[in-house]
Amino acid sequence: MVIKSHCKKIEILVDAPLWRRIRDQAMEMASDGYTLQPTLGGEGARGRWFDDQVTGGAGSKVVFTTVLEEEAASRFLDALEPMLEAYGLMVTVTTVEVVRAVSGPSSNSD
Amino acid sequence: MESLLSPVILFFVLGALAAFARSDLAFPEPISKALSLYLMCAIGLKGGILVAGNGFTTDLLLAAVAGLALSCLIPIGTFFVLRGFGRLDATNAAAVAAHYGSVSVVTFIAGNQILTDSGIPPAGYMIAVLALMETPAIVVGLILARGGTNLKLQSGNELLRETVLNGSVVLLTGSFIIGLIIGKDGFEPVAPVFETGFNGLLCLFLLDMGLLAARRIRLARNLTARLVLLAIVFPLVNGTIGCLVGAAIGLDVGTTTALAILAASASYIAVPAAMRLALPEADAGLYLSLSLAVTFPFNITIGIPIYTYLAKLMV
Repeated sequence: MVIKSHCKKIEILVDAPLWRRIRDQAMEMASDGYTLQPTLGGEGARGRWFDDQVTGGAGSKVVFTTVLEEEAASRFLDALEPMLEAYGLMVTVTTVEVVRAVSGPSSNSD
Repeated sequence: MESLLSPVILFFVLGALAAFARSDLAFPEPISKALSLYLMCAIGLKGGILVAGNGFTTDLLLAAVAGLALSCLIPIGTFFVLRGFGRLDATNAAAVAAHYGSVSVVTFIAGNQILTDSGIPPAGYMIAVLALMETPAIVVGLILARGGTNLKLQSGNELLRETVLNGSVVLLTGSFIIGLIIGKDGFEPVAPVFETGFNGLLCLFLLDMGLLAARRIRLARNLTARLVLLAIVFPLVNGTIGCLVGAAIGLDVGTTTALAILAASASYIAVPAAMRLALPEADAGLYLSLSLAVTFPFNITIGIPIYTYLAKLMV
């Protein structure tokens, strides 16, 4: 059995050394979990960057993805606001339909 | 001149030229990471084995105190020059100063090899001095950034993990201790991995570092002529101070040169990540470009021969 619900998927491009701070904020907002993805490089308002694996991650970025209920997402985005400029975050928010399995009573149970 | 024609330097130059010429030469990043781990492990082991053979000497203690003092004092002078002549704000000046107070492991490894090939190998205990000099500059840099008052770290545990438990510090210190424990006899079975291939793998790593440094300078923004000049003057001044200190405490030529290399080098592994955590408002592109794209190539190609010459004059 599955249930469907509308949630907010938040994706944040963040400097590799700083992603744990984003995770901590997300967990405070009742996030169930998150996913990290590596990046190869890119270009933005602060110039070009690339992942070199040598400079301790200072020049590297990761994409942090989490899915939250609408209210929690709103609180999470409010909490991120002071970090947007200082941490140079790029945040995108999309509305998604989340499909989750719900375990029902087992037919084999006694 | 001899050191300029060593394979290590020539491979570095090849990498830099290839990147400037926009060649498609590239090094797979995981291999580059693996090479850096191998080199740190090998150099740590060798240092530990040498100390195990010679024991803990007064020279070791003096070099350790000198290294710690340099690591604490260099960022202070650097900070005020960056604020004045470099026209940087306090946060950026402190972040850059912390890089110059700390050390570059790769510069040290390359210098160590060049000195050994020249017949003036530095004492093995300089690996311990290297590890000691990695972190104090970070603390001094943070104090400078906060104007000397109300030092409050945003996340103490996180910063501690990035500094004291930084991968390069853990591997260098750990390998050094393993070398101390196993000694020369215990090293023999693993020597083919850590000795036979060392020079060749160092060449490959320097090839990659040449590519990386040149790419970094091509992407550098906010680098003014004044800052580039300082990124060359800082290693020259700090290296000379390192030579003076080494000679004053009675170190031999090779070890004095190694201390000068440590004083002259700027970190681009441990400190950038720590600064990104502690001073996120500082411009990471700025401090990475200065330390990796200007000071590192300068030290590798021109600085090391100069410090060697000065050490020979002073010792």
